[in-house]
Amino acid sequence: MTGAPRETRVLDAVVSIVDSLLDDFDVVDLLTGLTERCTELLDIEAAGFLLADPLNKLRLLAATSEEARELELFQLQADEGPCVDCYNSGQPVSVADIHGALERWPRFVPAAIDAGFASVHAVPMRAAGIVLGALGLFGSRRGELNDADLLVGQTLTHIACVAILQEHAPTPSTVMPQLRSALTGRVVVEQAKGLLRQLLDVPVEDAFRLLRTYARANGEHLTDVARRLMTDRYSRLLIVTELDELRAGPL
Amino acid sequence: MKGWRDDVPDEPHGHHCGRPAPVRLSVAIHEQLRAAVDGQRGTEAADRLCEACVVLLDVDAAAISIVFDGASSGTLGASGEPARRYDELQFILGEGPCLESVARRIPVLVVDLADPEEARWPVYGPAMLANQIRGVYAIPVVVAGEFVGALDLFRAQPGPLPDDELTSAVTAAELAVIPLLDLMDGDLQAAVADPHSNAWAELNALSRAEVSQATGMLVAQLEVEPAEALIRLRAHAYATGRSATDVARDILDRRLLLEAD
Repeated sequence: MTGAPRETRVLDAVVSIVDSLLDDFDVVDLLTGLTERCTELLDIEAAGFLLADPLNKLRLLAATSEEARELELFQLQADEGPCVDCYNSGQPVSVADIHGALERWPRFVPAAIDAGFASVHAVPMRAAGIVLGALGLFGSRRGELNDADLLVGQTLTHIACVAILQEHAPTPSTVMPQLRSALTGRVVVEQAKGLLRQLLDVPVEDAFRLLRTYARANGEHLTDVARRLMTDRYSRLLIVTELDELRAGPL
Repeated sequence: MKGWRDDVPDEPHGHHCGRPAPVRLSVAIHEQLRAAVDGQRGTEAADRLCEACVVLLDVDAAAISIVFDGASSGTLGASGEPARRYDELQFILGEGPCLESVARRIPVLVVDLADPEEARWPVYGPAMLANQIRGVYAIPVVVAGEFVGALDLFRAQPGPLPDDELTSAVTAAELAVIPLLDLMDGDLQAAVADPHSNAWAELNALSRAEVSQATGMLVAQLEVEPAEALIRLRAHAYATGRSATDVARDILDRRLLLEAD
């Protein structure tokens, strides 16, 4: 992966993601994969997609890490930080050294430093001129997001928009249900993580990995597996038994 | 929410860059919808929210209906007696906007019941036409990932809801979560406990990942459905004077075990 020039790797990534889009895909799963691609293609350590809900709050849709501290950092971004600014302005935000941004983001900066990050960036998610949310990027080293990196970020973000809106033209009556559906899907996945924590006594991060592995092995949508776990008690028993076996093997 | 740039005004949801926004939600409407649920609980908040919809949007009646557990369903809030009648009729007839919206998990937007092609509600449709209602719009209300009810809007004038009104209606459906939670709570303890609660802050807390995770743990521990689990978590938060997020963290860290009934 690291041997080929960056352009080739970006093209490979785009092609494989477009293949997913043409096939049957789960929004939360695809977007999680996109954030992982970001860390491979850009000089950053963590990424997260935030989507605005109907009450105008940015909410986390997918991230590279399910670790509690990083999730907290992403959630904090609902109130303050590069993603909020990016969403409000519709323009990318890039801060090479967050130590200089303490006055601008008094709560976000200490939390980001505490989580081990030194630089933060955000790219807007747009469709038909409407800003739907933002992609947040976090680096453990100081550094700017240059034009080439920005283009990669915008490309991946654009794909995320297409994934969320699917084949519906972005008019309000189609956009709203899609956005709500994506955010509801995330809620159900979070619930499933908690359910598995209880039934398998695993940390919630591991629960997410198990869910994802199971969904892929069975050709099912991540969100659908989560929903079945939460609402179908018969399926729940079967799925949990299989997950218990999965847990014993490599993830 | 403060923007860091002085030259860009603070914009609410779905804001547009540099062009008139089809999905722009007027700050005034957003604020007034929020104000309608703050400082009220349960049925009062639901009624106030419906009244606000009629004032702020170009509709003639509004109601919030609930379909929970199959067993309990009905109208929980309405802008007036006609709205309440229009809404309850669907439960009597077994067909209508809320029922369809919840079953299909999407907004149901009927632009003209008088259209000869429009045949989705063979009994409810004509009944509404007899009341001079031609436009019916239902936005589902989602609690803990479950589609449990809808905000139903009724209009004499046929036609689609304008984009900005649809956005407002979706916002109202989000705000309806709090009064709906109040009313789904079997003993209503949580509902009466704090008349000065901040519905907005509560909605934010309820959308946090750890609250959803704790809800999932409760589903396993108490063997209840997700919406019921969230109600229990919230009731405990009210009973102990703590935030839903704090209670959620205790549940996740296994410092707190809620009792089954």
